[in-house]
Amino acid sequence: MKYFFTRASLVLVALLCMQASSIAQFSVSGTVTDTEGEPLIGVSILVKGTTVGTVTDFDGNYALNIPGSNALLEFSYTGFKPFTKEVTADDNNVDVTMSEDIANLEEIVVTGLASTIKRSNLANAVATISSEEITGVTTQQTLDGALYGKLPGVNIVQNNGAPGGGIAIRLRGVSSLSGNNQPLIILDGVYITNAEIPSGSRFASGANVGIEEGASNRLADINPDDIESIEVLKGASAAAIYGTRANAGVMIITTKRGKTGATKVALEQDIGFNTISNKVGRRVFDSRAEVEAAFPTEPNAGAEWEAAKAAGKIFDYEDIIYGETGLISETRFKVSGGNQKTTFFISAGYRDEDGIIKNTGFDRLSARLNITHEISKSFTISTSSNYINSNASRSFTGNENEGGLSYGYTLAFTRDYVDLFPDEDGNYPDNPNYTGNPLFVRDKAKNEENNSRFIQGAKLEWKALQRDNQVLRFILNGGFDILNNETFVYVPENHQAQRGVTNGFIGVGKNKISNYNYQFTGSHDFYTAGNLSFSTQAGISYLNIDRDFLLNRTTQLIPLQTNVSQGGAQTIEQTLENEEEFGIIAQESVNWDDKIIGTVGVRFDKSSLNGDPNKLYGFPRASLALNIANFDFWNSQQVEQFKLRVAYGETGNSATYGSLFTSLVNLSVGGMSGFVNDFNQGNPNLVPETSSELEFGADFTLFGGKVGLEATYYIRKVNDLLYNRSLPTSSGFTNEIRNDLDLENRGLELSLILNPVRNNSFNWLSTFNFWFNNSEITRLGIPDGDEGEDIPSFVPPNVGFGFGLGTFYINEGSPITAFWGNDDNGNPTITGDAEADFQLGWFNQFKIGKNLDINFMLHWKQGGDVLNLTRLLTDTGVTTPKEDADIEGFIEDASYLRLREIGAFYTIPVNSNFIKNVRLGVSGRNLLTLTNYSSYDPETSTKGGTGLSTGLEVTPFPSSRQAYFHLYFNF
Amino acid sequence: MKIYKILILGLLLTVVSCSIDEQVDPNRPSLNSVLSDASITELNLLANGIEGFMRNGYGTYVTATGSIARELYIFDADPRNTEDLLGKDGMQLDNNTFYLTTPYNNFYRDIKTCNILLESVDNTDIPSQAQKDGYRGFANTIKAFKLFQVLTMLHDNGIRIEVADPTNLGPFVSKADAYRAIRTLLDQAQDQLNGSEFAFQLSSGFAGFDTPATFAQFNRAIAAKVALYAGDPQGALSALNNSFFDLMGDFKTGPKMVFGTNAGDLLNPVFKAPNQSGDQLVVHNDVINDAEAGDDRLNKFAVRANQTSQDGLTGTHETRLYASATSPIDIIRNEELILIYAEGLIQTDMLDDAVDALNIIRNGHNLPDYSGAMTKDALIDEMLYNRRYSFWGEAQRMFDLRRYNRLNDQYLSIDRAGDLIFTQFPIPLTEGQ
Repeated sequence: MKYFFTRASLVLVALLCMQASSIAQFSVSGTVTDTEGEPLIGVSILVKGTTVGTVTDFDGNYALNIPGSNALLEFSYTGFKPFTKEVTADDNNVDVTMSEDIANLEEIVVTGLASTIKRSNLANAVATISSEEITGVTTQQTLDGALYGKLPGVNIVQNNGAPGGGIAIRLRGVSSLSGNNQPLIILDGVYITNAEIPSGSRFASGANVGIEEGASNRLADINPDDIESIEVLKGASAAAIYGTRANAGVMIITTKRGKTGATKVALEQDIGFNTISNKVGRRVFDSRAEVEAAFPTEPNAGAEWEAAKAAGKIFDYEDIIYGETGLISETRFKVSGGNQKTTFFISAGYRDEDGIIKNTGFDRLSARLNITHEISKSFTISTSSNYINSNASRSFTGNENEGGLSYGYTLAFTRDYVDLFPDEDGNYPDNPNYTGNPLFVRDKAKNEENNSRFIQGAKLEWKALQRDNQVLRFILNGGFDILNNETFVYVPENHQAQRGVTNGFIGVGKNKISNYNYQFTGSHDFYTAGNLSFSTQAGISYLNIDRDFLLNRTTQLIPLQTNVSQGGAQTIEQTLENEEEFGIIAQESVNWDDKIIGTVGVRFDKSSLNGDPNKLYGFPRASLALNIANFDFWNSQQVEQFKLRVAYGETGNSATYGSLFTSLVNLSVGGMSGFVNDFNQGNPNLVPETSSELEFGADFTLFGGKVGLEATYYIRKVNDLLYNRSLPTSSGFTNEIRNDLDLENRGLELSLILNPVRNNSFNWLSTFNFWFNNSEITRLGIPDGDEGEDIPSFVPPNVGFGFGLGTFYINEGSPITAFWGNDDNGNPTITGDAEADFQLGWFNQFKIGKNLDINFMLHWKQGGDVLNLTRLLTDTGVTTPKEDADIEGFIEDASYLRLREIGAFYTIPVNSNFIKNVRLGVSGRNLLTLTNYSSYDPETSTKGGTGLSTGLEVTPFPSSRQAYFHLYFNF
Repeated sequence: MKIYKILILGLLLTVVSCSIDEQVDPNRPSLNSVLSDASITELNLLANGIEGFMRNGYGTYVTATGSIARELYIFDADPRNTEDLLGKDGMQLDNNTFYLTTPYNNFYRDIKTCNILLESVDNTDIPSQAQKDGYRGFANTIKAFKLFQVLTMLHDNGIRIEVADPTNLGPFVSKADAYRAIRTLLDQAQDQLNGSEFAFQLSSGFAGFDTPATFAQFNRAIAAKVALYAGDPQGALSALNNSFFDLMGDFKTGPKMVFGTNAGDLLNPVFKAPNQSGDQLVVHNDVINDAEAGDDRLNKFAVRANQTSQDGLTGTHETRLYASATSPIDIIRNEELILIYAEGLIQTDMLDDAVDALNIIRNGHNLPDYSGAMTKDALIDEMLYNRRYSFWGEAQRMFDLRRYNRLNDQYLSIDRAGDLIFTQFPIPLTEGQ
């Protein structure tokens, strides 16, 4: 900090002295066009080594006064290769043609809090995805679902196939056991929440914990079509500047903004269909003898089957429950444009989607207004406002215990020869095989949520000083995200599992999460004559999160009533949480002629989640990039870019809210209240877990941008991992939270971009993303061999189903994602691993002629096991299809090859003043999956997105495949 | 330049002034608040918490031990109930699965709350000495009872007795040492109750046992049961003297666990809705077949409307042990004390008195007087018969059989070839033994 201000002041003084010596100047003007002769609007032109510059106007024209007698003009424009032209006082008219930048070397990447850097100068593997890749192939249900396979090192797992999301993002392996493995998400400068808010359905279904309820994650609220780009800072080396919330990485989302020029209006309509992507099948009996053999202790089973067969009443309940075709409709309306001072982007979108189970669905209404306005030459303000109202009906799936609600559970026990259909009076028969009739649950029970959300971001930029060789800017930005979530769960009093015991259930949740954050940063860019430039920034940052979860629930319902007050056994639960964080940031970057780029920085954070809320924890970073191909000795024409880079950084993560406290829990007995100790033992001395990452790599661009390769290897250590350790429960506590575990993730990420054919009639762009990650627990308690009492290996709470079935197990020297079971002698042994051997995403874009676009995306995941407890249940209920009967064990290889996205669009040019063009398209998601996995979907997680959550399947909402038709009008 | 100086100054001021407050839990009372200078209100809340939490874990304790003792099957969605507990295909009990950890964890959590109350009482001057002794006598009685329940499960593995300090837990002690410690604790509690005063009110479940004097009778009833299990029939008989044991009295007399639908309250975990197929306690067919004709204890069972099988097991009857989800459950009742009395007499060879006691039970359940042989072995059979039907579904059968070395395939039927009969539960994985 101090260093920065001292230097900044010196620079200012030096600058004032230099100002007097100004000399002669000349003027240059011209037009900038693309390779097809179209003028480019807004191309920025800079006199090299100075801050003198301008931008092109509506017709691509520019005019510039240049000091001195000759200069180098640098032309740059997003998506185009930069162009440098030497001009002298004799050149009055300089026209320039720019060509497209295939390898995205010139893309601007946000790295600091207030600074950007060209991709070609970046020392980290920052993955960026553009709007074209997000929504260009097909319509996306949710933003996170759009990222599958498109970014190396970014693992997306759909926990639950219900419409409206339920997706976990994991960057470069597991980074936390206790807290969140989900990256920090910053949308237009606002820290937004991606919470999974449970509805309390567990109180009716008997699911063990809230995370088993299969709630959606709130990134589902963001309209994917509003997004201009997403940058993913995968590890600590890139994310260090975000400090104590960045252990699981950072996703920086930027929404679309208007561009100076004619107003663009677009009206887009998608119509699509959801169908189940894979049916598991049911046990089919071919003869009475087969039924009797299956149920040897039931004398009546054979006769019942025969009677049902004769009456034509053998049903396929899997098809009846999961076999619906859900209609999807999405309408978007967008207007954008602006003049030299003000630009705007308005969008409204409405998506309505029905699921593959009757009475399930999701809808989202989103409205956005983004404005940028230049108040004066030195002040610019930009705002982004987004209102969302979303609704989901998710019904009941996933783990439960005798609730009779979760379809998969019920179906596992329900035999296809029982008749569960209602009679003509609408009375549903009891299910003789299980505690619930799935048709009754589908038609009568409800599990719904509504979200009303407002996200507002604003940024005020002050260019305090601009001289030929330096710029000083101050940026104040921030915003808030207010989410009001309401949940409603209704199980009628005559539901089979409830009748006579709890007599129905109503749960009404009113949940509020409000975040606000601001940051104030100063940045100073300084160019020297020796092609050396310095970029300095410093600032402060503040974050406040308030959560208020209120759940009213009742059992013993008054018959036919659906109001929570109409019940005889009411309970109210409130959970309040407040988190506050404050950080100080400083960073210095030095660039020598785009040849050597070095950066050092540090962030100090304090947080109310730490034992000492006012202690500052430091998170340093340093990186170096060498652009070998920019050095003078490099004269290969074939290699445009050859960069070596290395980066190091540290980030942190504080314990989840409440970890500091040891509390008493309230209970009631015979109308009297009492206290009992909580099963969690808090720890008032917690420090944040920290991650340190060393990343190195090399980037190449070859053959005129036809081949690009990015290779990155990382070693990511998580030290002092916060974890809930099972205590000897004879202590009266089940868990304590500790800090003495180290974990290491190592992995490789490769991106290969090919542009084998590129001409006016055919353009093929092909991207391969390949990655893998391996983890190892490197320390548990004290390092092996040291003196003192060590921590024995243990099973963390809520991560599996015991050694009998399979569980995660923390054991020094083993991967953290391994499944463990008992060997023949009853000792724990590794029986599988949820981590994939590798993943490969292959994205292809074809542009045929001027009007036809065809794109597709294949995703191959090799290895990675899933504990398939759905089959355990169907085995118990004798409903497993015969072809799966001989699969050994319940841990299965979940490799797959999936056609994630495919789309074809045809643009019909309309030469009218009213309509510019019409685009027609067809597309699909998950149309084809090749896998040996025996259940619904090889990607699944019954425990939601937190902690060690992947690879456990218990009767999920089956995944769907989607097919769409598109009709777009551009005015 | 001035403006930058102001800006920098402002920035520094913000940095310095942003201080974050110390955190307190906004949701719940903290443990520390009761550990020193606790008020009577706080101590009473702990006492009621101890009583209420006696119920937690009981349901699994009943169903897990009942499955092992082949008195019932649990037909629900969790296959481990019909696989692990019955040793299907030679499968062993897991040391980290709910049928062990649910009762174990909950019982010890109640013990922890007893220890918190004991510590709080030591660290406050607000209650009188007599009131302090009342809390202590109550807490130590319940603590001893919960330790005893844990010991019934772990048996020869032994248990931890000293668990007050979570950072320094006492060792696992042998079964014999554990019984000795539990009995000492019960005796100590009896002494503390003597002349003490209850500043707290127990729920209606303890009606008739809610003063120091009457609660001491409950303490002695538990002491009798523990003595019997510890192999000290004489000790059991003498403990009965000061309990609420009454040969002429109502079988049902005794403290109960009560249930309700209030917020934070529990429902009877052993109650199952009639004819509920997917979540049912199915009675082992041997229980039905082995009953003497006319035994009214068969009213605890009803014929299943739909006799579906599960995992190759089936049964004709289901439970009707409790009438509703809010029916109370006996902690220990006079009927058990009479049978403890009979068992103590048999063990000390006072067979005639034992037959008299057994006849009281038989007559009370619509059976004629005992007419079998007057030998110790025959009377043990008769006593076990009565215990089997009097305490079906009350977590007794496994331990009754075990006391007489009958928890094996000579006395119990094996329903599926390859099934095993376990005699005790393993030490939970989390104990790190």
